[in-house]
Amino acid sequence: MNWFTDRHCFLLAVTFYGLATLYSVFLWRKGFRRDDWVNYLLLAGGVALHTLAMVKRGLTLHSCPVNNLYEATTFLLWALGLACLVYSLLPRFKFLAAFTAPVLFAVGVFALMPSLDPPHGPKPEFSGALRSLHAATILQAYGAFGLAAVAAAMFLMQHHDLKFHKLRAMLSMLPSIQRLELITLRLTIVGFGLLSIGLVAGGLLPRHEGKPYLSDPKVIWSALMWLVYLELIVARLFFGRSTRRFTIGVVIAFVFLLLTFGITNFYSGLHNQ
Amino acid sequence: MSVVVIGLSHRTSPVELRERFAFAEGKIPVALQALRASGLAGEAVILSTCNRVEIYAVTALAAGTAFAELKKFLVAHHAYDGAIGDELYTFAEPHSLHHLFKVASGLDSMVIGETEIFGQLKDAYELAFIHKHTGARLNKAFQRAFNVAKHIRTETNIQRGSVSVMSAAVELAEKIFSSLAEHEVLVIGAGETSEKTARALLSRGARGVVVTNRSPERATALATELGGRAVPFENWTDALEQIDIAISSTAAPHHILDRAKLEPLMRCRRNRPLLLIDIAVPRDIDPAVNELDNVYLYNVDDLQSIAADYLNLRKEEVARCEKIIAEKVAALLEANKFSTTDGHR
Repeated sequence: MNWFTDRHCFLLAVTFYGLATLYSVFLWRKGFRRDDWVNYLLLAGGVALHTLAMVKRGLTLHSCPVNNLYEATTFLLWALGLACLVYSLLPRFKFLAAFTAPVLFAVGVFALMPSLDPPHGPKPEFSGALRSLHAATILQAYGAFGLAAVAAAMFLMQHHDLKFHKLRAMLSMLPSIQRLELITLRLTIVGFGLLSIGLVAGGLLPRHEGKPYLSDPKVIWSALMWLVYLELIVARLFFGRSTRRFTIGVVIAFVFLLLTFGITNFYSGLHNQ
Repeated sequence: MSVVVIGLSHRTSPVELRERFAFAEGKIPVALQALRASGLAGEAVILSTCNRVEIYAVTALAAGTAFAELKKFLVAHHAYDGAIGDELYTFAEPHSLHHLFKVASGLDSMVIGETEIFGQLKDAYELAFIHKHTGARLNKAFQRAFNVAKHIRTETNIQRGSVSVMSAAVELAEKIFSSLAEHEVLVIGAGETSEKTARALLSRGARGVVVTNRSPERATALATELGGRAVPFENWTDALEQIDIAISSTAAPHHILDRAKLEPLMRCRRNRPLLLIDIAVPRDIDPAVNELDNVYLYNVDDLQSIAADYLNLRKEEVARCEKIIAEKVAALLEANKFSTTDGHR
């Protein structure tokens, strides 16, 4: 089975995400009226293959597979997909998959670009528990932020439909907006906690000669993201920011994260060895 | 022997005529006995509701003769001396069975897809069955009608959605709040619709009711009836700090709640959603409050529009239901057991 590499496995996973995206379009057009399992199962198939791809890569490297942009992106998507599968089991949350599948598919296709996955030796430099903890927690944090953004998007759609008295708000089988807001807030807080742990772990990693942390674009960007999410949480919890503004902020923050994740990685001396 | 139907309903006759032909429940067994004793029908069921009066009969007579005799029976039984023509409808097999299945499924009801008729039809059948006025044909036809109605209920969207202002308000509340058990309902103005809406919310688990009214006696009376508490009308807005669902139906000629009043309250509420249902005409709540974050305002037109949209969706389902009914009627007519056997079960 040497011909069937982890990248082939990930390609199959992205195909499943693509099928789930197609089915999501159908569900959108139908106004989320039927609460079915098809999308969930397609996404579950994708996540299973995705997990297999990561296990294969991890076994090859003997470490957590987060050593280049491809691996980091696939880890982020995996965290997002897995969290989506778990949260979708809550009553009326199955449609989370319909909102998550397009993100997984689009970013998955991006991750498949060969230039993101340059060949490296059998075992990357600086492997170790702390490095794995640093990378894994930060990427899981991004997964949580991604799922928070998905729940926020569901909130905004339902909020808009209820505010403007659209029948779709009544017909759709989405959760109540109070529940969506709660899930968005909780996921953002969980993501923020994981990001904080990951950043602290990163600060404890061995220093590189001539590469100070605070001048590295990725470190500056990560600190910026940390501040952005801190502001969102503090404004919501302590300064009474409205749910609509909070959820818009969560969506914008994650879109910004997705758009700039690859660029900052590319220009980072510390993360692009 | 075949199943025939004669009757009048909300589709063909006004209530003044329907009430003249209505059968009191206690007198139905006697009427059935008289019908069978006349030799007109071997088996019979009488359905009498506020929207329809129908006789389902199994007769050996030719359809035309049977309808004429059944009409005479109806007129004589109710001592009706007026003219009656198109108000009475008649169906012979297979249309009689088709009609029975439609009635059982709520397709012939005033509110399409309603379920009350199912229970009424079941009661009518059981009354005839207990008094031994049904036999193999009607037993089979009615049992099949009940099965078809259940099948249609599960396989189509004919009963989906809220088709009344009250149920639309309840559904809205469930779209906004995770659980009604954590929320009290404020009734502003003790009108009939707001009372019914509050009752509907309570039946879906709302935590309690707070009533306010210009007349404190009326507020207290309604609050007691609903198991809630009354608050003075002068400071009802203070209650909005804690309460998340408000139903307003006062007779005030102007807005009793506007943006300027609500804005500071929303700050105190710390962004908890607030559902405002304004069923008063003229409206009690300034439409501009809907522009505030976390406020969801619905007036009576909005709720009626939701109910009407749902009704349209139900109408779109009618074709699917008709197809199912046509198949089931054909299957029933083909079944060997539904042919010649007579006698009571």
